[in-house]
Order: sequence, then C-alpha cells, then structure tokens
Amino acid sequence: MKRIMINKDLCYGCLSCSLACMAEHGKEKTTLYHLDLENKENSSRNFIALDSNNKPVPIFCRHCDEPECVDACISGAMTKDKNTGLVTYNQEKCASCYMCIMSCPYGVLKADDSARKIIMKCDFCGENSMPKCVESCPNQAIYLIEVNAI
Amino acid sequence: MKYVIIGAGAAGISAAKTLLDFDEKNQIVLISEDEKAYSRCMLHFVIAGKRDIDTISFVDEKLFDSDRISWISGKKVTELIFVEREVVLEDKSHVSYDKLLIAAGANAVIPPIKGMEHSKNVFVLRNIGDANAIREVASFAKRAVIIGAGLVGLDAASALLSLGLEVTVVEMADRILSLQLDSYSASQYQRVMEDMGAVIYTGVSVVEVKQNRNGFVETVHLNNGAVLECDLVVTAAGVRPNTIFIPDNSLEMNRGIQVNDCMQTSIPDVFAAGDVTGITGIWPAATKQGKIAAYNMAGKDEHFDDYFSAKNAIHLFGIGTVAIGMPVAPDNSYVEAVWKNDAVYKKIIYKDGIVYGIILQNDVSRSGFWTRVIKEKWKINTSVKNIFDVTYADFFCINEEGEYTFRQQP
Ligand SMILES: Cc1cc2nc3c(=O)[nH]c(=O)nc-3n(C[C@H](O)[C@H](O)[C@H](O)COP(=O)(O)OP(=O)(O)OC[C@H]3O[C@@H](n4cnc5c(N)ncnc54)[C@H](O)[C@@H]3O)c2cc1C
Ligand code: SF4
Ligand code: SF4
Repeated sequence: MKRIMINKDLCYGCLSCSLACMAEHGKEKTTLYHLDLENKENSSRNFIALDSNNKPVPIFCRHCDEPECVDACISGAMTKDKNTGLVTYNQEKCASCYMCIMSCPYGVLKADDSARKIIMKCDFCGENSMPKCVESCPNQAIYLIEVNAI
Repeated sequence: MKYVIIGAGAAGISAAKTLLDFDEKNQIVLISEDEKAYSRCMLHFVIAGKRDIDTISFVDEKLFDSDRISWISGKKVTELIFVEREVVLEDKSHVSYDKLLIAAGANAVIPPIKGMEHSKNVFVLRNIGDANAIREVASFAKRAVIIGAGLVGLDAASALLSLGLEVTVVEMADRILSLQLDSYSASQYQRVMEDMGAVIYTGVSVVEVKQNRNGFVETVHLNNGAVLECDLVVTAAGVRPNTIFIPDNSLEMNRGIQVNDCMQTSIPDVFAAGDVTGITGIWPAATKQGKIAAYNMAGKDEHFDDYFSAKNAIHLFGIGTVAIGMPVAPDNSYVEAVWKNDAVYKKIIYKDGIVYGIILQNDVSRSGFWTRVIKEKWKINTSVKNIFDVTYADFFCINEEGEYTFRQQP
C-alpha cells in the first residue's frame, strides 16, 4: 500500500497541505484560490502542529496496519480495506460517538466544525489519484512511498 | 479444522473476520442467540426510532459471502461438553468443534429491589429485544424512571426524552456519570437534561417499587421518602459476564471466564474474548480480544496488552466529552489544571510530568493521543509548553514504513 511519508525537517509550516485538503473536501470541490476560510464547513483532515521547539510537524492519518480507530468503531463506519490498505469512513453508518477520535493514538481525528457529527477522516483523495496535500507541498516534506504492510 | 464461535457481538465478529482473512482453508461456524449482528452501543437510537436493527448493524454483509463461514443465528447455546468437543443448542442439536471461542458477552444485572419481580414494565437495556420492548411501552407511557445514571442509563434517558416522556433519573452516587466525569463536566449534562424536563435525583437509592394488579410498576420509592409515579422503569445497574451455560467446575473462572493474554482458557483449544472474560466492558477491547483469540486459534502467537479501559467517549444531548484515566485527583499531590471558555471545559490531572486523567468537553478534536500518553505514561514537560497545547507533535517519531511511534520529548 501507499503511505504519506513525512520529512519533518523540510516542513516550514506553510499549511498548503491543510488548505488543499479543505478545498478538496468542501461541499463543492474548489481550489486554494476560491476556498472560503470563514466557512466552518471547510475543515482539514490533516494538520500541522508545533512541537516544543516550535518546529512545525505534519500530522496525517497513517492508514495504520492495526488501526485503533477501526477497533474502536461501534458502527462499522470506520473500516480497513484489505485490498487497498486504506482506512475509510462511511458517514451514513457513523453514530457520531467519538470513540474513534478518542482512540487514534496520534490524535489525527476530529469532527467537523459546524454540526460536529461527521468525522474528518483522510480518504487519500480516492484510491487512484495523488492526495491533494502531497501534490500541494512545495517542499517535498510530505511524499508518497510504497510500503509492504497492508 | 472447524472453528466454532459463540456470539455475534464485537468480539465474535472480529474473531470471525480475522479468521477469514488470516486462515484461508478452515471452516468457521458462528452461533448466536441474537438473530442479527448489531451494535449494542446504538440501541438508544432504536428506542428513539432513529434507526432500526438493520441500520445499527456494524457488520459488512460481505463477511458472510464466503462459503467458509456459516451462521446459526437466533439459537441459544445451553451446554458445553468439553470432553466431546461439542456445543449443545437449545433445540438439543449438537455442533462439534476443533477449536472453540466463547464470546457470549455480558448480561445486564437486575438490581435486587423489592417488588420488581415479574413486573411487565421494568426493563434493562442490553439486547435488541430490550430496546424494542422499551420503545413499545414508551409509545403509551408518559413517565419513565431510570435507575442508574451511568452510560447506559443516560443512553436510555436521551432516547426517552427525545420521545417526549417525563423522565426521572435516580442515581446512588453524588453525581451522574460518576465513574467517568468530575462534578463540573457531569453537571453540564445534568443541566441540559433538566432543560429538557428531566428530574434528576443523586445520592439516593430505590428501596422498593409497587406494582398494580396487572403487574405494572406504578410507583418507585426512594430512601429519602420521595415516591415517583411511573409507567415505565429502566434499570441500568451494570453488567455481569454471561457464563450460565458453562458447566460448573469446568473452566477456571474469576469475574468472568479466566483467560491468559492469548485469550486461552484453562481448557486446551477453548478460547474466550470480550465482555464474557470480565477483563473489560468496552467495545474496543472486545474487538481486540476477538482478534487476538482468532490469531491464537489459527496458530499465530499474539498477545493482548491493552488492559487500559478507563476511557470514555460520550456524545449525548449535544455535548461531546472524552474522559480518559481518573476523573478526579485522589489527593492534593496531583495538579488539576483547568481551562474553560464558554461551553468548553478541559481538565488535566498530572503529577511530576505524568498525566493520570483528562476530561475534554465540547472540544474533543484531535485528542486521541492522550489515550496513549496516559496509558503509557509519556512525560510532559510543562516548563516548555502549556499542557493544554500538547499534541502528538511533541512525541513525533516516524519509521521507514511511514508509521508514527512515540518518542520522549527532551
Ligand atoms: C446500551 C449500551 C451502550 C454501550 N455503549 C458503549 C460505548 O459507547 N462504548 C463502548 O466502548 N462500549 C459500549 N457498550 C459496551 C459494549 O457494547 C460491549 O463492551 C461490547 O458489546 C462487548 O462485546 P462482546 O462481543 O463481548 O459481547 P456482546 O456484544 O454482548 O455479544 C454477545 C453475543 O453473544 C450472544 N450470546 C449470548 N449468550 C449466548 C448463548 N447462550 N448462546 C448463543 N449466543 C449467545 C449474543 O446473542 C451476542 O451475539 C455499551 C453497551 C450497552 C448495553
Ligand atoms: S485515524 Fe489514526 S488510528 Fe485511524 S488509521 Fe489514521 S492514524 Fe491510524
Ligand atoms: S464517531 Fe462514527 S466512525 Fe467514529 S467510532 Fe463512532 S461510529 Fe465509528
């Protein structure tokens, strides 16, 4: 499967990845230039946080081999696809119970900022395309690698 | 090889899934009293009429496409004959196994309250039948009393309030959700419930209930003298591992069926997982134990190591809370740091850089790393950073497979 690799030292915190994620996943797909930042319905699945040295650190879903969010999911909304390796989210099934948010060991997950019912989960922008975050990183701080795990 | 799994709950289904994926030649027989596989954690949606048995299913139907798995559903196991390697069902049919997994969950405990026996309107909330029965009585009931204000009690309260019933909650502890929350975070739930018309008694217990001639409980009597009139009672007083069908002096037991961390019981080739072990009573642990049991049944040496179960995610009455570890500091050698802003409440309990408990209310975003930090006692350096600003970034480490791991910050 593919995973988004991270070279923290190359990240200077421009947030292009987060904006690209918001643009891709809003109600209507848009581009960075037209993204409405005041609209609470636009939130990013990935994020950049500062460590204790104030260095930016990209925090992105790992599509884990043994995903804690899937083990914790009470509704079957969060599943690991054995063929693609992706951990995907089904909004229809979701009970908005927040078990997955509590269980992701890297604190990746959150609910949407408006109704707080939908889990903001990386979907790799679909199976076959290049994730928009990776595409938008000007510094190659995030890039795709092929890993053996599934 | 023939694997038999008793129970189609979180543990049984996760074991079946793992066996199908991992072991590609053997047969699996799943047996459950439940006619369908559904999530108990969503039963309150059924009471409220928001979902039905099919829309609270947590199982991908494709699981049963495989001809290596068959499912005997709606049948109870009544006996186990370990020497013959046989499971006996209620219709007296026998199912043989090479390896057996017992994942029969837990039963709700009915508190021993005078007058409650054989009543027609007192329910627990554990199975789909309970939810349907509560919904049925709620369709003509006006007043409901809920005994016990833990998670299950509040699930029931939320459903009944949404149906417009007058709900009274009776709790022995000094606050609702006393095992999960501190006074302030519990009071936020209490306030919205009261705004919806609920009456909440804390620090009192039920001494007796009285039935009418038709077997319906009409009044609930409290030890403070109060008498509550009601048409419906839900008791939510905890659970007990479901081990009735296990022959006496066969398996070693403690709270439930005793297992080692490979989920093996005291009898070879017999495994147990989930609430039936009494180790934990939460969904993620049941899933993981089911998985570990399956691996070991199929000959792969895997160990369960997630005994940390003091973690709760609660999203009821529009308030979302994540509470991990201890809700209240046991003495004043701990720091209780509090952050409040409008409806948002955050509290972190720590001592010498080790966090022992956290409550996050109305802002649970990206909080999952705290489960790992608390469980594994990762140190926080509060002199370099405000503890409320800590994220996974402070422990960031990545391996060449692109997996995150934890690293102690300097
Ligand atoms: C109302 C409610 C809300 C909950 N909310 C949460 C929550 O938000 N988060 C959380 O982590 N946990 C929650 N829980 C707890 C969680 O549901 C359990 O920990 C979990 O279901 C345990 O899974 P299990 O597979 O061990 O057992 P169960 O899910 O109880 O499954 C047991 C299975 O065994 C079958 N069975 C039992 N006896 C027999 C028999 N004699 N013969 C054949 N089959 C039998 C049953 O039919 C069933 O299929 C909640 C529980 C309840 C009741
Ligand atoms: S959300 Fe968290 S636990 Fe789930 S796959 Fe992504 S990184 Fe892993
Ligand atoms: S919030 Fe939805 S996806 Fe997350 S654990 Fe609950 S049901 Fe599953």
